[in-house]
Amino acid sequence: MLEIKDLVVSYSGTRILNRVNLQLEQGDSLAIIGESGAGKTTLGLAVMGFVEGTVSGQIRLDGKNLPALSEGEMRSIRGKEIAMVFQNVEDALNPLHNIHAQVREAMTVHQNGSKAEASTRAYRLLEAVGLDREKAESFPHQLSGGERQRALIAMALANDPDVLILDEPTASLDSLTKSDILELLKAAAAGKISITITHDISTAARLSKTMAVLYAGKIVEMGRTEDLLKNPLHPYTRGLLRSYPNMTATKDLQGVPGRMAHGVGGCPFHERCTQKLEICALREPVLQKLDGRSIACHRGGIVPLLQLLGITKSFGQSEVLKDVNIALHEGETLAVVGESGSGKTTLARIAIGLYDLDEGEVLLEENRVGKRGLEFYRKVQMTYQNSKESLSHRMNVFDLVKEPLDVQRLGSPEEKASRVKDALNCVELPADDRFLGRYPHQLSGGEAQRVAIARAMVLQPKLLIADEPTSALDASVQAKILRLLMDLQEQRGLSILFITHDIALARKVSDRIAVLHRGRIVEEGPTNEVIAGPQHEYTRMLLERASDLSGRREEMWKIPMEVLGPNRLNTIEMRKTA
Amino acid sequence: MHIDPLRDITHNPFALEGLAMLSLIVLMAALAPVLSSYQPDYYTGQIFSHPSSDHLLGTDSMGQDIWSRLLYGARTSLVVAAIVAVLTTSLSVFIGASSALLGGPYERFWMRAVDAMTAIPPVIVLILAGAYIQPSLLMLILLLSALSWPEGARIIRSQVLSLKEKEHINASRTFGANWKHILRNHIVPELGPLITALMIQDARRAVFMEASMAFLGISDPMVISWGKMMQQALDFTYLDVWKWWLLPAGLALSVTLVGLTFLGFALESAMDPRIRKSSRIEMEIENPRTIHA
Repeated sequence: MLEIKDLVVSYSGTRILNRVNLQLEQGDSLAIIGESGAGKTTLGLAVMGFVEGTVSGQIRLDGKNLPALSEGEMRSIRGKEIAMVFQNVEDALNPLHNIHAQVREAMTVHQNGSKAEASTRAYRLLEAVGLDREKAESFPHQLSGGERQRALIAMALANDPDVLILDEPTASLDSLTKSDILELLKAAAAGKISITITHDISTAARLSKTMAVLYAGKIVEMGRTEDLLKNPLHPYTRGLLRSYPNMTATKDLQGVPGRMAHGVGGCPFHERCTQKLEICALREPVLQKLDGRSIACHRGGIVPLLQLLGITKSFGQSEVLKDVNIALHEGETLAVVGESGSGKTTLARIAIGLYDLDEGEVLLEENRVGKRGLEFYRKVQMTYQNSKESLSHRMNVFDLVKEPLDVQRLGSPEEKASRVKDALNCVELPADDRFLGRYPHQLSGGEAQRVAIARAMVLQPKLLIADEPTSALDASVQAKILRLLMDLQEQRGLSILFITHDIALARKVSDRIAVLHRGRIVEEGPTNEVIAGPQHEYTRMLLERASDLSGRREEMWKIPMEVLGPNRLNTIEMRKTA
Repeated sequence: MHIDPLRDITHNPFALEGLAMLSLIVLMAALAPVLSSYQPDYYTGQIFSHPSSDHLLGTDSMGQDIWSRLLYGARTSLVVAAIVAVLTTSLSVFIGASSALLGGPYERFWMRAVDAMTAIPPVIVLILAGAYIQPSLLMLILLLSALSWPEGARIIRSQVLSLKEKEHINASRTFGANWKHILRNHIVPELGPLITALMIQDARRAVFMEASMAFLGISDPMVISWGKMMQQALDFTYLDVWKWWLLPAGLALSVTLVGLTFLGFALESAMDPRIRKSSRIEMEIENPRTIHA
């Protein structure tokens, strides 16, 4: 059993690890993920007793407190009870000896049987990791990267250690070799305590049952690997997952704003966090258990921002929405997809408060929204389907972008002017006098849409309801607008309720999809799951009819000859457009 | 589309002619003491004198200088026109816009009131009121204002109803704007040309009604009015005086009415949806990206 208690490691005064607590039983496999500089490798080195800096706290292996042991005692444990597969493949092997000799040495150092026995075992071990006798007698430079990695694994396994630390075990391997090595590592780690240290989330996922996210020397989230990857609770975990290219996610890559720094007061992540409160800068959050997940966040993880519960709305006799439930979290995009007339826009307008609802309720930050005042609209903004119509024709760009500030009575005229310019910069529009003096009819469609977004963003809202933000734009302009929205989300943690008829579009920009059909949500879930395995007939139909570039389409629309008149001999076949 | 009807009409010949006529009347009213050497009520000592360098339009049956009465009569017409126009239009805008914005029973009440009011002929009301109350200019102004707002209110209401549904008003609402902000920044500027047209229409009607009432004798006898001049002149048609007594008063009244009519017509044609539509199509051909589904 390996128990790490309040482990603090500092290098020249900077805390690289800040009170890490872990408890691992035999058979546990833990992965530690995080960006470089988070202290992952330091943690591995601390367990191995290789750390140069000052160490406080306890690392207990079967009752022995490792940092308290002398170097001599530590040497007898290292390689025997705890072994590490090192990160740097090139330097970890001695170029003067062949592989077999090095594995055998690892055994004889710990007086593990006689020399002859060790030699035989070393050959067998190398064979087990996939290196035959010929390879075993090769020198490191004669082997490929994958083979050297196998050799290192064999060395780590030489004394059948209880704890196996894998530090970036698959870095710099190509994906096929990586896959083989992962299988091998999985087999090697079976029944032991294994700690995988990596920034490669897919490696971590393959090698662990439990995953911990390390940020600036602190564990910010820990839980079952599967749950953590599917439903990250800490904003940093989500940012990490979003920035990792993989075959599961469909949304475009997004990063985490800012840079990691050690020694930040309060929550180490608060400077980069988009949902921080005052307390986050003052007090350090404790890692707390919550439904099998541990999370260190004052806000209890990513907060739900907008919830629509049981929304029902009729216009006269026709029921437009029936018992619609959706929830949108901070920094998340929820796409509401459906054909025209499915009630999407009505839903958006109910959320923003342009329509009253018949039944149900709207919650913002878990508080029921009654009468919407200035404060509500500072947090929630909307852009309209026809952006040009949403701009008054008698106002120029400056007045248009300033209007929300006038309404909210925010700041002096100078402050307003500078905020207007900032808002225009953030939507990548010029803020010079010529452009500020333009009227809506002098703007292109893309510019008008950007001005509309700038109007919404000038209040720095937490939630943007975007009703078909790109339906009137050509593809290249659309791509830029979408990129812009994604960047705003990355920078400010903007949540987006994305109303669209285009499921292909929703696939690229949303974290979750809700499919609306005749006023009801027929399917709702993470975008990748909805796209890969649609459950409802209607979703399948939307996916079948969605844009693709292959040009393969089965159904053809045929216009009967007789309706074209007697003179027309050839039938015309038209591709049915969806 | 940015179209400002008030700017458009500066190129309209009707508007320019109308403005010229009105300016003439306004100048007459403003410069009355300079242009004449007699007070309108001053008894000159001679009655029915022919036009001369001393009395440009001669004197009337009371021995008063007709030219100065004509000039001062313009003041009465314009004062009544201006006050009634402002009062009536304010009532129209207030009742029409608030009905459209607030809706509900409030709106229903006012719209039924409009229906009821349009059924009442104002001349009858004025005559009846004159029969019971001492007729005065103030009473005339108040009664005219109280009777002529409904038509304008109906027009304003329908315009505000359609404006209210505009997306840019929704956008303003979702910035948190209250109705005051929306009225001031979106609806009233949008209604500007319409309000101007209504005011001109109300002014024209007021000028006409004031003259008619004076002609019918339902007015304060002390007030100098073109309508009363015409009525008095008509009593002496057997003399030659109609040439310099009746005709100038009728002409001044006509110029005022025609001037207002021309101006109103020019403004209305600038706001005519058909004309606006054709100019919008031109704009969109110039800039095809503005066409949306």
